[in-house]
Amino acid sequence: MNAVALVKQVPDRNSAFRPAGDWIDESSLGYGVNDYDRYAVEAALALKEAGHAAETVAVTAGPADAGQVLRSCLAMGVDRGVHLVTDRAHLADPFFVARALADAVSGLDAGVVFAGLLAEDSGHGQVGGLVAGLLGYAFASAATGLHFRNGRLEVHRELEGGRIAVVELRLPAVVAVQTGVNTPRYASLRGIMASRRKPVERVELAAPTDGAGLRRLTLSRPERGASAEILQGSPQEAAEALVPRMRAGAGISFPGDPA
Amino acid sequence: MSRRVLILAERSENGVTDASYELIEAASRLAAGPDGVSAVLPVGDASEAEGLREVLPAAELLLVEGPAHAAPTADGTAAAVLHAREASGAECVLLPHDPVGWDVAPLVAARLRTAAATAVSALSWREDGLVARRSAFLGKFVQEVVAPGLPAVVTVERGALPAREPGPAVSVRILPSPVGPNDLRSRLVEVRDSGAGGVDLTAADVVVAAGRGLGGPENLDMVRELAAALGGVVGASRAVTDAGWLPHELQIGSSGATVSPKLYVACAISGAIQHLVGMRGSRFVVAINKDPDAPIFGAADVGIVGDALEVIPAVTEAVRNSG
Repeated sequence: MNAVALVKQVPDRNSAFRPAGDWIDESSLGYGVNDYDRYAVEAALALKEAGHAAETVAVTAGPADAGQVLRSCLAMGVDRGVHLVTDRAHLADPFFVARALADAVSGLDAGVVFAGLLAEDSGHGQVGGLVAGLLGYAFASAATGLHFRNGRLEVHRELEGGRIAVVELRLPAVVAVQTGVNTPRYASLRGIMASRRKPVERVELAAPTDGAGLRRLTLSRPERGASAEILQGSPQEAAEALVPRMRAGAGISFPGDPA
Repeated sequence: MSRRVLILAERSENGVTDASYELIEAASRLAAGPDGVSAVLPVGDASEAEGLREVLPAAELLLVEGPAHAAPTADGTAAAVLHAREASGAECVLLPHDPVGWDVAPLVAARLRTAAATAVSALSWREDGLVARRSAFLGKFVQEVVAPGLPAVVTVERGALPAREPGPAVSVRILPSPVGPNDLRSRLVEVRDSGAGGVDLTAADVVVAAGRGLGGPENLDMVRELAAALGGVVGASRAVTDAGWLPHELQIGSSGATVSPKLYVACAISGAIQHLVGMRGSRFVVAINKDPDAPIFGAADVGIVGDALEVIPAVTEAVRNSG
Protein backbone atom coordinates (compact mmCIF):
# COMPACT_ATOMS: atom_id res chain seq x y z
CA MET A 1 0.00 0.00 0.00
CA ASN A 2 1.01 3.61 -0.63
CA ALA A 3 0.98 6.87 1.30
CA VAL A 4 -0.71 9.72 -0.56
CA ALA A 5 -0.53 13.46 0.15
CA LEU A 6 -3.13 15.87 -1.26
CA VAL A 7 -1.58 19.27 -1.90
CA LYS A 8 -2.83 22.62 -3.14
CA GLN A 9 -1.08 25.51 -4.82
CA VAL A 10 -2.03 28.74 -3.01
CA PRO A 11 -0.95 32.39 -3.28
CA ASP A 12 2.02 33.29 -1.12
CA ARG A 13 0.57 34.29 2.26
CA ASN A 14 2.63 37.46 2.46
CA SER A 15 1.18 38.84 -0.77
CA ALA A 16 -0.83 42.06 -0.73
CA PHE A 17 -4.26 40.58 -1.51
CA ARG A 18 -6.94 42.73 -3.13
CA PRO A 19 -10.54 41.59 -3.60
CA ALA A 20 -11.56 41.65 -7.28
CA GLY A 21 -14.95 40.45 -8.46
CA ASP A 22 -15.91 37.27 -6.61
CA TRP A 23 -12.28 36.46 -5.68
CA ILE A 24 -8.91 38.18 -5.40
CA ASP A 25 -6.85 39.96 -8.04
CA GLU A 26 -4.59 37.11 -9.16
CA SER A 27 -2.24 39.11 -11.37
CA SER A 28 1.32 39.39 -10.06
CA LEU A 29 0.90 36.90 -7.21
CA GLY A 30 3.54 34.39 -6.19
CA TYR A 31 2.38 30.84 -5.53
CA GLY A 32 3.61 27.95 -3.43
CA VAL A 33 2.57 24.87 -1.47
CA ASN A 34 -0.25 25.44 1.04
CA ASP A 35 1.48 25.49 4.43
CA TYR A 36 -0.83 22.88 6.02
CA ASP A 37 -0.11 20.52 3.12
CA ARG A 38 3.63 20.51 3.85
CA TYR A 39 2.74 18.68 7.08
CA ALA A 40 0.67 16.21 5.06
CA VAL A 41 3.65 15.55 2.79
CA GLU A 42 5.95 15.06 5.79
CA ALA A 43 3.45 12.59 7.30
CA ALA A 44 3.41 10.56 4.07
CA LEU A 45 7.22 10.49 3.90
CA ALA A 46 7.47 9.44 7.55
CA LEU A 47 4.98 6.61 7.00
CA LYS A 48 7.11 5.22 4.18
CA GLU A 49 10.33 5.64 6.15
CA ALA A 50 8.77 3.68 9.03
CA GLY A 51 8.16 0.81 6.60
CA HIS A 52 4.38 1.18 6.42
CA ALA A 53 4.11 2.37 2.82
CA ALA A 54 5.74 1.16 -0.39
CA GLU A 55 5.60 4.44 -2.23
CA THR A 56 4.64 8.08 -1.62
CA VAL A 57 2.46 9.93 -4.12
CA ALA A 58 1.49 13.63 -4.15
CA VAL A 59 -1.72 14.64 -5.92
CA THR A 60 -2.83 18.16 -6.81
CA ALA A 61 -5.65 19.73 -8.82
CA GLY A 62 -4.89 23.03 -10.46
CA PRO A 63 -3.76 24.93 -13.55
CA ALA A 64 -0.65 24.10 -15.57
CA ASP A 65 1.68 26.06 -13.26
CA ALA A 66 0.42 24.14 -10.22
CA GLY A 67 2.88 21.47 -11.31
CA GLN A 68 5.42 23.53 -9.32
CA VAL A 69 3.91 22.34 -6.01
CA LEU A 70 4.33 18.72 -7.11
CA ARG A 71 8.00 19.47 -7.91
CA SER A 72 8.37 20.86 -4.37
CA CYS A 73 6.90 17.64 -2.96
CA LEU A 74 9.19 15.49 -5.11
CA ALA A 75 12.17 17.54 -3.92
CA MET A 76 11.13 16.84 -0.31
CA GLY A 77 11.34 13.11 -1.16
CA VAL A 78 7.94 12.10 -2.53
CA ASP A 79 8.31 9.37 -5.19
CA ARG A 80 5.85 10.57 -7.84
CA GLY A 81 3.15 13.09 -8.60
CA VAL A 82 -0.31 13.20 -10.16
CA HIS A 83 -1.44 16.54 -11.60
CA LEU A 84 -5.15 16.94 -12.29
CA VAL A 85 -5.10 19.84 -14.70
CA THR A 86 -8.00 22.28 -14.50
CA ASP A 87 -8.66 26.04 -14.59
CA ARG A 88 -7.92 27.85 -11.34
CA ALA A 89 -11.52 29.13 -11.34
CA HIS A 90 -12.82 25.56 -11.09
CA LEU A 91 -11.13 25.18 -7.70
CA ALA A 92 -13.94 27.37 -6.32
CA ASP A 93 -16.09 24.30 -5.66
CA PRO A 94 -14.61 21.90 -3.07
CA PHE A 95 -16.94 19.14 -4.28
CA PHE A 96 -15.58 19.32 -7.83
CA VAL A 97 -12.01 19.21 -6.50
CA ALA A 98 -12.73 16.38 -4.06
CA ARG A 99 -14.46 14.26 -6.70
CA ALA A 100 -11.47 14.59 -9.03
CA LEU A 101 -9.02 13.82 -6.21
CA ALA A 102 -11.11 10.82 -5.09
CA ASP A 103 -11.07 9.42 -8.63
CA ALA A 104 -7.29 9.75 -8.75
CA VAL A 105 -6.76 8.34 -5.23
CA SER A 106 -8.93 5.29 -5.96
CA GLY A 107 -6.28 4.10 -8.44
CA LEU A 108 -3.28 4.61 -6.17
CA ASP A 109 -3.56 1.65 -3.75
CA ALA A 110 -3.66 4.17 -0.92
CA GLY A 111 -3.36 2.97 2.68
CA VAL A 112 -3.35 6.43 4.19
CA VAL A 113 -4.20 9.69 2.43
CA PHE A 114 -2.93 12.82 4.18
CA ALA A 115 -4.41 16.26 3.57
CA GLY A 116 -3.83 19.63 5.20
CA LEU A 117 -6.63 20.70 7.56
CA LEU A 118 -7.46 23.64 5.31
CA ALA A 119 -6.18 25.74 2.41
CA GLU A 120 -4.87 29.16 3.33
CA ASP A 121 -6.82 30.83 0.52
CA SER A 122 -10.35 29.42 0.34
CA GLY A 123 -10.23 27.84 3.81
CA HIS A 124 -13.09 25.39 3.17
CA GLY A 125 -11.30 22.79 5.30
CA GLN A 126 -13.15 19.79 3.94
CA VAL A 127 -11.52 18.36 0.82
CA GLY A 128 -9.88 15.53 2.78
CA GLY A 129 -13.19 14.64 4.43
CA LEU A 130 -15.08 14.79 1.15
CA VAL A 131 -12.55 12.41 -0.44
CA ALA A 132 -12.98 10.04 2.52
CA GLY A 133 -16.77 10.25 2.25
CA LEU A 134 -16.76 9.66 -1.52
CA LEU A 135 -14.44 6.64 -1.22
CA GLY A 136 -15.91 5.20 1.99
CA TYR A 137 -12.55 5.54 3.77
CA ALA A 138 -12.17 6.24 7.49
CA PHE A 139 -11.58 9.91 8.34
CA ALA A 140 -10.16 12.09 11.08
CA SER A 141 -9.53 15.84 10.97
CA ALA A 142 -7.34 18.16 13.06
CA ALA A 143 -4.69 15.50 13.65
CA THR A 144 -1.87 16.56 15.97
CA GLY A 145 -0.35 13.10 16.46
CA LEU A 146 -0.04 9.97 14.30
CA HIS A 147 0.92 6.47 15.43
CA PHE A 148 0.85 3.34 13.31
CA ARG A 149 -0.01 0.15 15.23
CA ASN A 150 -1.02 -3.34 14.10
CA GLY A 151 -2.20 -2.23 10.69
CA ARG A 152 -4.32 0.57 12.13
CA LEU A 153 -3.67 4.23 12.45
CA GLU A 154 -4.01 5.93 15.83
CA VAL A 155 -4.74 9.63 15.44
CA HIS A 156 -4.61 12.26 18.17
CA ARG A 157 -7.15 14.99 17.49
CA GLU A 158 -7.39 18.38 19.12
CA LEU A 159 -10.77 19.09 20.65
CA GLU A 160 -11.86 22.39 22.15
CA GLY A 161 -10.82 23.35 25.62
CA GLY A 162 -7.40 21.70 25.38
CA ARG A 163 -8.69 18.12 25.25
CA ILE A 164 -7.25 15.43 22.99
CA ALA A 165 -9.29 12.62 21.43
CA VAL A 166 -7.45 9.42 20.57
CA VAL A 167 -9.11 7.78 17.55
CA GLU A 168 -8.28 4.50 15.87
CA LEU A 169 -8.86 4.26 12.11
CA ARG A 170 -9.15 1.18 9.92
CA LEU A 171 -7.31 1.48 6.64
CA PRO A 172 -7.64 2.86 4.09
CA ALA A 173 -8.06 6.20 5.82
CA VAL A 174 -7.87 9.92 5.15
CA VAL A 175 -6.31 12.16 7.80
CA ALA A 176 -6.47 15.97 7.70
CA VAL A 177 -3.48 17.24 9.67
CA GLN A 178 -2.97 20.35 11.79
CA THR A 179 0.18 22.39 11.49
CA GLY A 180 2.53 21.18 14.21
CA VAL A 181 1.70 17.47 13.74
CA ASN A 182 5.35 17.04 12.67
CA THR A 183 8.26 19.13 11.43
CA PRO A 184 8.22 19.29 7.63
CA ARG A 185 11.66 18.75 6.12
CA TYR A 186 13.27 21.13 3.68
CA ALA A 187 14.29 19.92 0.25
CA SER A 188 17.98 19.11 0.08
CA LEU A 189 20.05 19.99 -2.98
CA ARG A 190 20.24 16.29 -3.68
CA GLY A 191 16.49 16.02 -3.34
CA ILE A 192 16.00 18.85 -5.79
CA MET A 193 18.35 17.19 -8.30
CA ALA A 194 16.63 13.81 -7.87
CA SER A 195 13.15 15.35 -8.25
CA ARG A 196 13.84 16.18 -11.89
CA ARG A 197 13.89 12.50 -12.80
CA LYS A 198 10.74 11.61 -10.88
CA PRO A 199 7.52 11.01 -12.83
CA VAL A 200 4.48 13.30 -12.82
CA GLU A 201 1.34 11.99 -14.46
CA ARG A 202 -0.90 14.67 -15.98
CA VAL A 203 -4.66 14.14 -16.26
CA GLU A 204 -6.86 16.75 -17.95
CA LEU A 205 -10.09 17.24 -16.02
CA ALA A 206 -13.38 17.94 -17.80
CA ALA A 207 -14.98 21.24 -16.74
CA PRO A 208 -17.61 20.93 -14.01
CA THR A 209 -21.11 20.73 -15.45
CA ASP A 210 -23.62 20.02 -12.71
CA GLY A 211 -22.87 22.79 -10.20
CA ALA A 212 -23.37 20.39 -7.31
CA GLY A 213 -21.28 22.16 -4.70
CA LEU A 214 -20.55 25.82 -3.98
CA ARG A 215 -20.43 28.91 -6.18
CA ARG A 216 -18.56 32.11 -5.28
CA LEU A 217 -20.60 35.31 -5.00
CA THR A 218 -18.52 38.02 -3.33
CA LEU A 219 -15.27 38.62 -1.46
CA SER A 220 -14.66 41.65 0.74
CA ARG A 221 -12.71 42.91 3.71
CA PRO A 222 -14.34 42.26 7.06
CA GLU A 223 -16.00 45.25 8.68
CA ARG A 224 -13.97 46.80 11.42
CA GLY A 225 -15.28 46.61 14.95
CA ALA A 226 -17.12 49.86 15.55
CA SER A 227 -15.09 50.57 18.69
CA ALA A 228 -11.59 50.11 17.26
CA GLU A 229 -9.67 53.35 17.68
CA ILE A 230 -6.29 53.60 15.92
CA LEU A 231 -3.74 55.67 17.85
CA GLN A 232 -1.58 57.92 15.69
CA GLY A 233 1.93 59.30 16.01
CA SER A 234 5.33 57.84 16.75
CA PRO A 235 5.57 54.59 18.72
CA GLN A 236 6.26 56.65 21.85
CA GLU A 237 3.32 59.03 21.27
CA ALA A 238 0.96 56.15 20.51
CA ALA A 239 2.20 54.25 23.58
CA GLU A 240 1.61 57.25 25.84
CA ALA A 241 -1.90 57.68 24.45
CA LEU A 242 -2.54 53.98 24.97
CA VAL A 243 -1.78 53.69 28.70
CA PRO A 244 -4.69 55.77 30.07
CA ARG A 245 -7.08 53.99 27.69
CA MET A 246 -5.88 50.60 28.95
CA ARG A 247 -6.37 51.66 32.56
CA ALA A 248 -9.88 52.97 31.95
CA GLY A 249 -10.99 50.23 29.56
CA ALA A 250 -9.72 47.30 31.60
CA GLY A 251 -10.41 48.92 34.96
CA ILE A 252 -7.21 47.67 36.56
CA SER A 253 -4.03 49.07 38.09
CA PHE A 254 -0.52 48.03 37.12
CA PRO A 255 2.31 46.70 39.34
CA GLY A 256 4.26 49.98 39.12
CA ASP A 257 1.30 52.04 40.37
CA PRO A 258 1.57 53.64 43.81
CA ALA A 259 -0.15 51.46 46.37
CA MET B 1 -41.94 29.84 2.95
CA SER B 2 -41.30 27.45 5.76
CA ARG B 3 -38.29 25.20 5.57
CA ARG B 4 -37.05 22.54 7.94
CA VAL B 5 -33.53 22.85 9.32
CA LEU B 6 -31.66 20.15 11.23
CA ILE B 7 -28.94 20.86 13.78
CA LEU B 8 -26.47 18.50 15.40
CA ALA B 9 -26.69 18.87 19.18
CA GLU B 10 -23.61 18.03 21.22
CA ARG B 11 -23.72 16.85 24.78
CA SER B 12 -21.66 18.55 27.45
CA GLU B 13 -21.05 17.53 31.06
CA ASN B 14 -24.31 19.04 32.26
CA GLY B 15 -26.58 19.22 29.23
CA VAL B 16 -25.75 20.37 25.73
CA THR B 17 -22.98 22.70 24.56
CA ASP B 18 -23.33 26.46 24.09
CA ALA B 19 -22.63 25.84 20.40
CA SER B 20 -25.83 23.76 20.23
CA TYR B 21 -27.89 26.76 21.40
CA GLU B 22 -26.20 29.00 18.82
CA LEU B 23 -27.07 26.45 16.12
CA ILE B 24 -30.69 26.38 17.26
CA GLU B 25 -30.80 30.19 16.98
CA ALA B 26 -29.27 30.04 13.48
CA ALA B 27 -31.70 27.29 12.46
CA SER B 28 -34.66 29.14 13.90
CA ARG B 29 -33.85 32.23 11.81
CA LEU B 30 -33.32 30.13 8.69
CA ALA B 31 -36.52 28.12 9.18
CA ALA B 32 -38.51 31.30 9.90
CA GLY B 33 -39.33 30.18 13.42
CA PRO B 34 -38.63 27.46 15.97
CA ASP B 35 -41.39 25.27 14.48
CA GLY B 36 -39.05 24.39 11.63
CA VAL B 37 -36.10 23.32 13.78
CA SER B 38 -35.15 19.67 14.30
CA ALA B 39 -32.22 18.59 16.43
CA VAL B 40 -30.40 15.27 16.20
CA LEU B 41 -28.56 13.71 19.11
CA PRO B 42 -26.81 10.36 18.57
CA VAL B 43 -27.03 8.25 21.75
CA GLY B 44 -25.93 4.80 22.83
CA ASP B 45 -29.17 4.46 24.78
CA ALA B 46 -32.12 6.84 24.75
CA SER B 47 -32.17 6.89 28.55
CA GLU B 48 -28.94 8.95 28.41
CA ALA B 49 -30.95 11.80 26.93
CA GLU B 50 -33.36 11.82 29.85
CA GLY B 51 -33.63 15.46 30.90
CA LEU B 52 -32.12 16.81 27.69
CA ARG B 53 -35.56 17.14 26.10
CA GLU B 54 -36.28 19.78 28.73
CA VAL B 55 -33.40 21.99 27.64
CA LEU B 56 -33.33 21.59 23.82
CA PRO B 57 -35.81 24.12 22.40
CA ALA B 58 -36.44 22.43 19.02
CA ALA B 59 -39.76 21.47 17.46
CA GLU B 60 -38.48 17.93 17.20
CA LEU B 61 -35.65 16.13 18.97
CA LEU B 62 -34.45 13.07 17.08
CA LEU B 63 -32.53 10.57 19.18
CA VAL B 64 -30.61 8.22 16.90
CA GLU B 65 -30.06 5.28 19.19
CA GLY B 66 -27.65 2.39 18.98
CA PRO B 67 -24.40 0.99 20.41
CA ALA B 68 -22.47 2.59 17.52
CA HIS B 69 -23.10 5.94 19.21
CA ALA B 70 -22.07 5.02 22.75
CA ALA B 71 -18.78 6.83 21.99
CA PRO B 72 -18.87 9.45 19.21
CA THR B 73 -16.94 8.90 15.97
CA ALA B 74 -16.81 10.84 12.69
CA ASP B 75 -18.49 8.18 10.59
CA GLY B 76 -20.97 7.14 13.31
CA THR B 77 -22.14 10.70 13.89
CA ALA B 78 -22.31 11.35 10.12
CA ALA B 79 -24.55 8.28 9.70
CA ALA B 80 -26.82 9.51 12.51
CA VAL B 81 -27.07 13.00 11.00
CA LEU B 82 -27.90 11.58 7.55
CA HIS B 83 -30.55 9.31 9.06
CA ALA B 84 -32.16 12.18 10.96
CA ARG B 85 -31.93 14.40 7.88
CA GLU B 86 -33.96 11.91 5.93
CA ALA B 87 -36.47 11.36 8.75
CA SER B 88 -37.02 15.09 9.23
CA GLY B 89 -36.95 16.07 5.56
CA ALA B 90 -34.64 18.97 6.47
CA GLU B 91 -33.35 21.07 3.58
CA CYS B 92 -30.37 22.30 5.54
CA VAL B 93 -28.07 20.68 8.11
CA LEU B 94 -26.20 22.93 10.56
CA LEU B 95 -23.10 21.70 12.41
CA PRO B 96 -20.68 23.53 14.69
CA HIS B 97 -17.49 24.87 13.09
CA ASP B 98 -15.28 23.02 15.55
CA PRO B 99 -13.36 19.72 15.55
CA VAL B 100 -16.66 17.79 15.61
CA GLY B 101 -18.05 19.68 12.62
CA TRP B 102 -14.74 19.41 10.72
CA ASP B 103 -15.00 15.63 11.08
CA VAL B 104 -18.68 15.17 10.38
CA ALA B 105 -19.70 17.90 7.88
CA PRO B 106 -17.63 16.67 4.90
CA LEU B 107 -18.76 13.06 5.41
CA VAL B 108 -22.40 14.19 5.44
CA ALA B 109 -21.85 16.49 2.45
CA ALA B 110 -20.14 13.77 0.40
CA ARG B 111 -23.12 11.45 0.89
CA LEU B 112 -25.45 14.26 -0.19
CA ARG B 113 -23.22 14.83 -3.26
CA THR B 114 -22.35 18.40 -2.33
CA ALA B 115 -19.79 20.50 -0.50
CA ALA B 116 -20.37 22.06 2.91
CA ALA B 117 -20.32 25.82 3.42
CA THR B 118 -17.87 26.14 6.33
CA ALA B 119 -16.78 28.83 8.81
CA VAL B 120 -20.14 30.53 8.29
CA SER B 121 -21.32 33.59 10.24
CA ALA B 122 -24.64 34.36 8.48
CA LEU B 123 -27.15 32.53 6.29
CA SER B 124 -30.05 33.49 4.04
CA TRP B 125 -32.18 31.91 1.37
CA ARG B 126 -32.52 33.21 -2.13
CA GLU B 127 -34.16 31.78 -5.22
CA ASP B 128 -31.25 29.64 -6.37
CA GLY B 129 -30.21 28.25 -3.01
CA LEU B 130 -28.70 29.01 0.36
CA VAL B 131 -26.33 31.97 0.66
CA ALA B 132 -23.61 31.67 3.30
CA ARG B 133 -21.33 34.41 4.58
CA ARG B 134 -18.01 32.85 5.58
CA SER B 135 -14.44 33.55 6.50
CA ALA B 136 -11.68 33.09 3.88
CA PHE B 137 -7.93 33.74 3.62
CA LEU B 138 -7.41 32.88 7.30
CA GLY B 139 -9.90 35.55 8.34
CA LYS B 140 -8.51 38.31 6.13
CA PHE B 141 -11.62 38.35 3.94
CA VAL B 142 -15.33 37.67 4.19
CA GLN B 143 -16.74 35.59 1.36
CA GLU B 144 -20.28 34.94 0.23
CA VAL B 145 -21.01 31.64 -1.49
CA VAL B 146 -24.23 30.07 -2.68
CA ALA B 147 -25.02 26.38 -2.23
CA PRO B 148 -27.40 25.74 -5.10
CA GLY B 149 -28.20 22.12 -4.32
CA LEU B 150 -30.46 21.21 -1.39
CA PRO B 151 -30.13 19.83 1.18
CA ALA B 152 -27.28 22.15 2.11
CA VAL B 153 -24.63 21.40 4.75
CA VAL B 154 -23.18 24.24 6.84
CA THR B 155 -20.70 24.64 9.70
CA VAL B 156 -21.41 27.74 11.81
CA GLU B 157 -18.67 29.73 13.57
CA ARG B 158 -18.87 29.93 17.36
CA GLY B 159 -20.17 33.25 18.61
CA ALA B 160 -21.54 34.34 15.23
CA LEU B 161 -25.06 34.30 16.63
CA PRO B 162 -26.45 34.62 20.14
CA ALA B 163 -27.31 31.40 21.93
CA ARG B 164 -31.00 30.56 22.22
CA GLU B 165 -32.33 30.19 25.75
CA PRO B 166 -32.80 26.58 26.93
CA GLY B 167 -36.37 25.30 26.72
CA PRO B 168 -38.22 22.05 26.17
CA ALA B 169 -38.39 20.18 22.86
CA VAL B 170 -41.94 20.00 21.53
CA SER B 171 -41.65 16.33 20.56
CA VAL B 172 -39.11 13.53 20.83
CA ARG B 173 -38.64 10.67 18.38
CA ILE B 174 -36.33 7.73 18.89
CA LEU B 175 -34.85 6.38 15.67
CA PRO B 176 -32.95 3.08 15.72
CA SER B 177 -29.48 3.74 14.31
CA PRO B 178 -28.84 2.60 10.75
CA VAL B 179 -25.29 1.55 11.70
CA GLY B 180 -23.79 -0.92 14.16
CA PRO B 181 -20.34 -0.70 15.75
CA ASN B 182 -18.92 -3.11 13.15
CA ASP B 183 -20.03 -0.84 10.30
CA LEU B 184 -17.78 1.94 11.51
CA ARG B 185 -14.23 2.49 10.29
CA SER B 186 -13.20 4.56 13.29
CA ARG B 187 -13.26 4.03 17.04
CA LEU B 188 -12.85 6.51 19.88
CA VAL B 189 -10.16 5.12 22.18
CA GLU B 190 -10.21 7.89 24.80
CA VAL B 191 -10.52 11.61 25.44
CA ARG B 192 -7.90 13.12 27.67
CA ASP B 193 -6.73 16.46 28.93
CA SER B 194 -3.73 17.72 27.01
CA GLY B 195 -2.83 20.19 29.75
CA ALA B 196 -3.41 22.98 27.22
CA GLY B 197 -6.32 24.45 29.19
CA GLY B 198 -3.69 26.09 31.41
CA VAL B 199 -5.22 27.60 34.55
CA ASP B 200 -2.78 30.51 34.75
CA LEU B 201 -3.78 31.75 31.33
CA THR B 202 -7.51 31.46 31.87
CA ALA B 203 -7.41 33.02 35.36
CA ALA B 204 -5.15 35.95 34.44
CA ASP B 205 -6.43 39.54 34.50
CA VAL B 206 -3.95 40.57 31.85
CA VAL B 207 -2.77 38.49 28.88
CA VAL B 208 -0.09 39.69 26.47
CA ALA B 209 -0.14 37.42 23.43
CA ALA B 210 2.76 36.92 21.04
CA GLY B 211 2.26 36.36 17.31
CA ARG B 212 4.31 35.17 14.37
CA GLY B 213 4.91 38.76 13.26
CA LEU B 214 7.50 39.12 16.02
CA GLY B 215 9.86 37.35 13.65
CA GLY B 216 11.56 34.94 16.01
CA PRO B 217 11.83 33.63 19.57
CA GLU B 218 14.65 36.08 20.26
CA ASN B 219 12.01 38.85 20.34
CA LEU B 220 9.84 37.23 23.01
CA ASP B 221 11.71 38.93 25.85
CA MET B 222 10.11 42.27 25.06
CA VAL B 223 6.70 40.60 25.24
CA ARG B 224 7.61 39.14 28.65
CA GLU B 225 8.73 42.58 29.83
CA LEU B 226 5.45 44.17 28.75
CA ALA B 227 3.51 41.39 30.49
CA ALA B 228 5.55 41.98 33.67
CA ALA B 229 4.94 45.75 33.54
CA LEU B 230 1.20 45.14 33.17
CA GLY B 231 1.12 42.44 35.85
CA GLY B 232 0.03 39.83 33.31
CA VAL B 233 1.04 36.56 31.71
CA VAL B 234 2.29 35.70 28.22
CA GLY B 235 0.12 33.77 25.77
CA ALA B 236 0.62 32.96 22.10
CA SER B 237 -1.02 32.39 18.75
CA ARG B 238 -1.03 28.96 17.19
CA ALA B 239 1.73 29.91 14.73
CA VAL B 240 4.06 30.73 17.62
CA THR B 241 3.48 27.49 19.53
CA ASP B 242 3.65 25.41 16.34
CA ALA B 243 7.00 27.00 15.58
CA GLY B 244 8.19 25.95 19.03
CA TRP B 245 8.89 29.50 20.28
CA LEU B 246 6.57 28.91 23.24
CA PRO B 247 4.99 25.73 24.66
CA HIS B 248 1.59 24.56 23.38
CA GLU B 249 0.01 25.16 26.79
CA LEU B 250 0.21 28.89 26.07
CA GLN B 251 -1.78 28.76 22.85
CA ILE B 252 -4.94 30.85 22.80
CA GLY B 253 -7.69 29.96 20.33
CA SER B 254 -10.26 27.40 19.35
CA SER B 255 -7.74 24.57 19.62
CA GLY B 256 -6.10 25.93 22.77
CA ALA B 257 -7.09 27.97 25.78
CA THR B 258 -10.09 30.28 25.92
CA VAL B 259 -9.27 33.41 27.91
CA SER B 260 -11.41 36.28 29.16
CA PRO B 261 -9.02 38.70 30.88
CA LYS B 262 -9.74 42.32 31.70
CA LEU B 263 -6.93 43.36 29.36
CA TYR B 264 -5.74 41.52 26.26
CA VAL B 265 -2.77 42.83 24.27
CA ALA B 266 -2.24 41.14 20.89
CA CYS B 267 1.34 41.67 19.70
CA ALA B 268 1.97 41.03 15.98
CA ILE B 269 -1.02 38.68 15.76
CA SER B 270 -3.01 38.97 12.53
CA GLY B 271 -6.17 37.60 14.12
CA ALA B 272 -7.23 34.40 12.37
CA ILE B 273 -10.77 33.50 13.39
CA GLN B 274 -9.48 30.50 15.36
CA HIS B 275 -7.50 32.91 17.52
CA LEU B 276 -10.33 35.43 17.91
CA VAL B 277 -12.62 32.70 19.22
CA GLY B 278 -10.20 32.14 22.09
CA MET B 279 -10.01 35.79 23.25
CA ARG B 280 -13.45 37.07 22.39
CA GLY B 281 -14.47 37.31 26.05
CA SER B 282 -11.75 39.85 26.90
CA ARG B 283 -12.98 43.13 28.42
CA PHE B 284 -10.48 45.47 26.71
CA VAL B 285 -8.41 44.51 23.68
CA VAL B 286 -5.30 46.25 22.37
CA ALA B 287 -3.84 45.27 18.99
CA ILE B 288 -0.34 46.06 17.76
CA ASN B 289 0.31 45.11 14.13
CA LYS B 290 2.07 46.56 11.13
CA ASP B 291 -0.72 45.57 8.71
CA PRO B 292 -3.61 48.06 9.01
CA ASP B 293 -5.90 45.50 7.38
CA ALA B 294 -5.15 42.75 9.91
CA PRO B 295 -8.43 41.27 11.19
CA ILE B 296 -7.24 41.68 14.81
CA PHE B 297 -8.05 45.42 14.54
CA GLY B 298 -11.66 44.43 13.97
CA ALA B 299 -11.68 42.67 17.33
CA ALA B 300 -9.78 45.39 19.22
CA ASP B 301 -10.86 48.42 21.21
CA VAL B 302 -7.63 50.28 20.54
CA GLY B 303 -4.96 49.63 17.92
CA ILE B 304 -1.49 50.82 17.07
CA VAL B 305 -0.41 50.32 13.46
CA GLY B 306 3.34 49.91 13.47
CA ASP B 307 6.33 47.65 13.86
CA ALA B 308 5.69 45.60 17.02
CA LEU B 309 9.41 45.50 17.74
CA GLU B 310 9.36 49.29 18.16
CA VAL B 311 5.90 49.71 19.65
CA ILE B 312 6.11 47.03 22.38
CA PRO B 313 9.15 48.51 24.20
CA ALA B 314 7.56 51.96 23.90
CA VAL B 315 4.38 50.72 25.57
CA THR B 316 6.38 48.99 28.32
CA GLU B 317 8.24 52.22 28.95
CA ALA B 318 5.04 54.29 28.98
CA VAL B 319 3.39 51.90 31.45
CA ARG B 320 6.41 52.03 33.78
CA ASN B 321 6.49 55.82 33.67
CA SER B 322 2.78 56.17 34.30
CA GLY B 323 2.69 54.79 37.82
